[in-house]
Amino acid sequence: MNAFPLLLRAEWIKVRSLRSTYLMIALAVLVGLGVGLLYLTSTADAWATTLTARDRAAFDPVADAFSGFQFAELVLAALGVLIATSEYTTGTISATLTAAPRRLRVFAAKLAVLTTVALPICLACSFAAVLLGQQALHAVPDTAVHVGLGNAHVLRGIIGAGLYMTAVTLVGFGIGALLRHTPAALTLMFSLVFLAWPAARALEGFSYLPDRWLLVNAADALVATHATTGPNVPRTPSYAMAWVEIMIYVLVFVGLGAWRSSRDVPG
Amino acid sequence: MIEIDHLTKRYGGRLAVDDLTFNVSPGRVTGFLGPNGAGKSTTIRSILGLATPDGGRVVVNGKPYRSGETPLRIVGSLLDGNGFHPGRGARQHLDYLAASNGLPPRRVHEVLQLTGLTTVARRRVGTFSLGMKQRLGIAAALLGDPQILVLDEPTNGLDPEGILWLRGLLKERAADGGTVLVSSHLMTEMSLTADHLVVIGRGRLLADVSLADLVQAATGDQGDPRTLEDAYLHLTRGTEQFQAVDVPRPPAGDGR
Repeated sequence: MNAFPLLLRAEWIKVRSLRSTYLMIALAVLVGLGVGLLYLTSTADAWATTLTARDRAAFDPVADAFSGFQFAELVLAALGVLIATSEYTTGTISATLTAAPRRLRVFAAKLAVLTTVALPICLACSFAAVLLGQQALHAVPDTAVHVGLGNAHVLRGIIGAGLYMTAVTLVGFGIGALLRHTPAALTLMFSLVFLAWPAARALEGFSYLPDRWLLVNAADALVATHATTGPNVPRTPSYAMAWVEIMIYVLVFVGLGAWRSSRDVPG
Repeated sequence: MIEIDHLTKRYGGRLAVDDLTFNVSPGRVTGFLGPNGAGKSTTIRSILGLATPDGGRVVVNGKPYRSGETPLRIVGSLLDGNGFHPGRGARQHLDYLAASNGLPPRRVHEVLQLTGLTTVARRRVGTFSLGMKQRLGIAAALLGDPQILVLDEPTNGLDPEGILWLRGLLKERAADGGTVLVSSHLMTEMSLTADHLVVIGRGRLLADVSLADLVQAATGDQGDPRTLEDAYLHLTRGTEQFQAVDVPRPPAGDGR
């Protein structure tokens, strides 16, 4: 039987047999936790000296612990891109499809394996980021920054960050499967995650809607433990809307990737 | 048995395969010949379900390839231009293929031995020579111990020992009742390996005859002996898409 479990095993062998998988995951964990930790350490140092009262009020001990995740998400999305595009750029897809000619099943197996790899890593990272962040903030006299998993929105924010990172990985995978070309897919993914931000800013004279549909602003809404203040208020979607948006991003790009995967590979 | 029935495949405006019909029968080695760009690889990709025909149909043992659940047990294939991830080890490439068809790990071990790759099984494919990659491709084709073999240019890059081994293997498979389709540009090799020949040009069938009949038919008026190469060149004349043109060379001593 070319049953689904066999395809899952095959895809699992593929993912774990490439050195780039390990390197990219290690890099994502390193920058994801490292940058956040550096940021919180310098914030703690500056707390009583250079930070203004407004800075201190805006500081979010959960959301700000994820400040390295904007780099980590790019690495993970690039991993998603590569897992999809490398099959096409190396020609491995021909061997894969002669062994397993049901193309959508192969796509689904690959998606399932990538999710199974990315989800636990992303969740572990987001827990680690907040818990390590608390260590870094230990000396801050303001007790509002000392939070535990029981505090309002803390657990919700941690889980939100982990799921968001996984979602971005899957968006990268969908883009890779759609374009089958590594540089093009990386460019589109970078534009979507990073460059869409100044573009949406430029449109603020007309509407804040593009802002509210940005992946990064949706992520902000998911991880915030206290209400957004200042100029970011109109840019941030509601908590529920943020989930809807992220699901739509995943569905659209994974859906496009699935559609393209069902098409012939010229060769 | 492979049946190709009025197969047509278009890429953009170009007809790669044009109403092609022939069968590949069990019990003999069928050589698949034609000039570059004649449509051999497209036909092979259509047999393997990789290219969707624009017209006609291709069936393997009476069924379209894509309807098969564990195709590696039925058809072993080697495609032009390998298809390995350079970062993956040779064994891992075979491991994932075996896993996808539920083949026991023992088979990976066996085909590595059969193709002489056991000592380099852990090396990454990116470090392989063309001949070693070709051996790995043949190993992958043999993984499911299939009755049908479809091999595109399998002798590419193989050393003489490897070519001899492959020739013996293909003949043995055919003698055991297997179906073997093998494409090549090496006429001497084809005349030693194939029993039957299918020749195509510009996507159309030019000949579907036994090796002996093709060479016989090309014999000159005076009955002088001809080779398969003569017969092939005669048959495909005018269907080549790519032809060398003499370029005049500057007189010696002119350049500095």
